[in-house]
Amino acid sequence: MEDKYADLLQRCANRDQFAFKQLYEEASPKLLSLCLRLLQDKQLAEDVLQEGFIKIWDKADTYAQGKGKGMTWMATVVRNKALDKLRSLKTKPAETEIQYEGLEFASADLTPESLEDLSQDMQGLMACLKTLKPVQRECILLSYYYGHTHQELSDRLGKPLGTVKAWIRRGLEDLRPCLT
Amino acid sequence: MSNIKRYQNPEVFEQLAIEYAVGALQGRAKKRFEVLMETHFYLKATTEAYQQKFAHLVELLPDEKPSNQVWKNLESHIQATATASVSETKENRWSALFSKKSFGLMASVFIVSMVLIFNPMTGSPVAYTAVLESSSTHDPMAVTRISQADMSLSIEMMKDTKVPDGMQLALWCHPKNGGRPMMMGTISASGKTVIKIDKAEWRNFKKVGLLAISLEHKDDHVDVKHIGGPKGKILLKGVLSSEYGV
Repeated sequence: MEDKYADLLQRCANRDQFAFKQLYEEASPKLLSLCLRLLQDKQLAEDVLQEGFIKIWDKADTYAQGKGKGMTWMATVVRNKALDKLRSLKTKPAETEIQYEGLEFASADLTPESLEDLSQDMQGLMACLKTLKPVQRECILLSYYYGHTHQELSDRLGKPLGTVKAWIRRGLEDLRPCLT
Repeated sequence: MSNIKRYQNPEVFEQLAIEYAVGALQGRAKKRFEVLMETHFYLKATTEAYQQKFAHLVELLPDEKPSNQVWKNLESHIQATATASVSETKENRWSALFSKKSFGLMASVFIVSMVLIFNPMTGSPVAYTAVLESSSTHDPMAVTRISQADMSLSIEMMKDTKVPDGMQLALWCHPKNGGRPMMMGTISASGKTVIKIDKAEWRNFKKVGLLAISLEHKDDHVDVKHIGGPKGKILLKGVLSSEYGV
């Protein structure tokens, strides 16, 4: 299947600024959404998005299609930037007027129309996640989207720390064979 | 079991890699894993493979439009870097032609130009890597790194491959633009194999697009540097990526 992001990245590697603008316009809304959930602060999220796109522009020539889809490569670059930023802050930013929380958008019961918009890879990942217990799936998705620590998950779900750790470890153990 | 032996066990390192990729590895365990990833590229490759799989989760997120200022800043950045690189070139030429030390500078420019022309390594990547996947199941099975610093190709099998008696595994380089593949050598079915390369072979990797491992009969006399192409079944293959020094 054609990967429009991969084509745009290839053009960015050749210093095509129009391709970079198109790439930004198409990919930035999803990537900002990820930054907002991890950082919980609009200004910080936009700063990280900007740093992420500078890296994407600078390193576009290192992207190889064999390494995965263009969007997943960019999401990994931007998420790593956001995690670095989170790590550099002593505490997570104070809660703002806009709350980015919950997993409604990642409901396991998406409508058939919504499923059609997803890539085959994402549909495969969803099928794997559906095989987990709901609590395991919830902990894994909260870790990915919000960067929650085990302790934060324990506080948020009102469950003992050991229980949360076991849910995640066993959930990922069960997920591995499905993903490979 | 020593620490490093422990991390060579796929059951252990795959679990750590998936935990790291999803963000569930924390504290000292996370820092220890990051240090190990820097030196053991199979850990890094496995982790990156899981990061790519989880990155599809962004598809589910609702769109959030960034403020216009973000694009303005990005536009300024890329234009500034483009201008800087052009003006740097112009400035160098100007200085070389008109400064009081023009002779010395021109001599320097001449020397640098000669190095640029005659040093075949200039502008080249510092290493190449490839994750080789099973041709049938698409599981990552081996990681290859070709390093200019060591002038060697190392291939590490992440999972053992069954090789019947009388058979051996051969590693092939397939040119980007087609043509006959070249054999790099035979490799072990488990653990790590290191093959020394010379300067000409290093240069040739620029033209290589894909690495593949085939199963060959030992008595077929498939010698190193054989260019006839694999006779046996291709078991693993992977696209070669370049790494540039920063």
